[in-house]
Amino acid sequence: MIEFSRVSKQYSRDTYALRDVSLSVQKGELVFLAGPSGAGKSTLLKMIAAVERPTAGTLTVNGQDIGNIKPSGIPWLRRNLGLIFQHQRLLEDRNLLANVMLPLIVTGASRGDAEKRTRAALDKVGLLDKALCEPLELSGGEQQRVAIARAIVNRPQIILADEPTANLDRANANKVLAALKSFHSVGVTCLISTHDEQTLTGAERIVYLDRGRMVEGWHNADANPEVTA
Amino acid sequence: MNWLRQHAAAAMDALRHLLRSPGNFILNVLVVSIALALPFAGLSALENVRPISQQMSVEPEISIFMQLDASRETVQTMGKTIDKALKDTGTQGRVEFVPKEKAFDALKNKTGLADVLATLGANPLPDSYVLRLPGFGNAMDAGRVDTIASRLKDAPGVDAVQIDSEWVKRLAALLRILRLVLLFLGVTLGAVVIAVVFNTIRLQVMTQREEIEVSRLLGATNSFIHRPFYYTGALLGLCAGLVALGLVIAAQRPLNTAILDFARLYASEFQLALPSAMAVTLLLAVSALLGLLGAMLSVRRHLARAH
Repeated sequence: MIEFSRVSKQYSRDTYALRDVSLSVQKGELVFLAGPSGAGKSTLLKMIAAVERPTAGTLTVNGQDIGNIKPSGIPWLRRNLGLIFQHQRLLEDRNLLANVMLPLIVTGASRGDAEKRTRAALDKVGLLDKALCEPLELSGGEQQRVAIARAIVNRPQIILADEPTANLDRANANKVLAALKSFHSVGVTCLISTHDEQTLTGAERIVYLDRGRMVEGWHNADANPEVTA
Repeated sequence: MNWLRQHAAAAMDALRHLLRSPGNFILNVLVVSIALALPFAGLSALENVRPISQQMSVEPEISIFMQLDASRETVQTMGKTIDKALKDTGTQGRVEFVPKEKAFDALKNKTGLADVLATLGANPLPDSYVLRLPGFGNAMDAGRVDTIASRLKDAPGVDAVQIDSEWVKRLAALLRILRLVLLFLGVTLGAVVIAVVFNTIRLQVMTQREEIEVSRLLGATNSFIHRPFYYTGALLGLCAGLVALGLVIAAQRPLNTAILDFARLYASEFQLALPSAMAVTLLLAVSALLGLLGAMLSVRRHLARAH
């Protein structure tokens, strides 16, 4: 589903965001990208969404070569992705309903259908009763759950979450992770970046990055409790 | 259906943003409407004056004044010369001979200067011919009269030839100049409208930058992002066009009073007419198109840069 083959992203002669990364993510996998700040986790996720393009190597997402994708093809690629950002990026002048509905509106869905699906998505993250609130009326954890609702409302094949728990306390972080894992459990491929070791507890697959290089790829169907130790 | 829904959503989005800051929108509409009002007023005035040049000379007249000492025989020969000139140029015309005695009597009766004229002793007026040329459609045809007039001017015994369509030709020439001035003014102020809309949309793109970026990340196409700005530009142009037309119509009422007072001095009831429904539609369409053009230029420039 996602295939990195010796992918590099170079900004200048000596500045690499990613260097020679090879990684394969199968359909339905839950992959954690771990590493310190500046390791290249966000760049890797941005490349999957075609926000950034590789300067070397090949990256394919759903069979599409990101290095050669035409600008007109990018919106169609992104409609199959659910993006969650560290700073939510909710539109502050619109209520939750309008925020979560946005991915459906851009695809031309009818208002009635879009509202029905939006309410269902808000219900899944436990915020249906706040549908008419504005983002600034919510806590950080609730805002992140709204971002998750927005990411899943168009039923994407892949969810990309960039540090979704970075600004949350442990209780809220666990709620957000539980929500993401519930979508993975119904077959959605999830890539979650984090620098928080506690988030990795019970992870099936962890990919470690450091200064743009993939230093370790760890895979265990039974999970590895030692990782958080 | 989906296409229509996308346009409806874009129009609603544009309206939503306008309603969020109506003050800015109203100010922009006023600026654009002032720029539009000037060419609108000029066009309206020209359209009112144009028929005068077209209709007033439907029957140009040539007055041929004989020399005071021209013999009766020479004067009679002139009649034949006129007939020949009409025949040679293939023109239909009506010729009226006005003897100097008849002209003198008419002058006395019309002006009430009988006493003054009686002191002159002799009749100072010459024999004359009045040649009427029916079938000349408009001022542009007036040029054809020149050929006949120049032939008659050289005939023996002729003192002067006067063409009464001269002023119509001058008016037509003046209108041509005014039309060019108006075209130049229209183009200049059209550019002003485009510039104002361009800047308005630029500011809107800046204030909506986050929304645009998020929409892009969520799979919005360029058309989806550009469309609300196009609607904003067109709506701005349309509203400004309406205000400009309102201003022109409002100014026309007091102006007409003054024009009517002036026209009555010349035994005319001339007034500026309101623009026709067709003209109103056309002007509003042009205003909306100018707004759309400004928005398209701005969006292409600023969103391409942001992308």
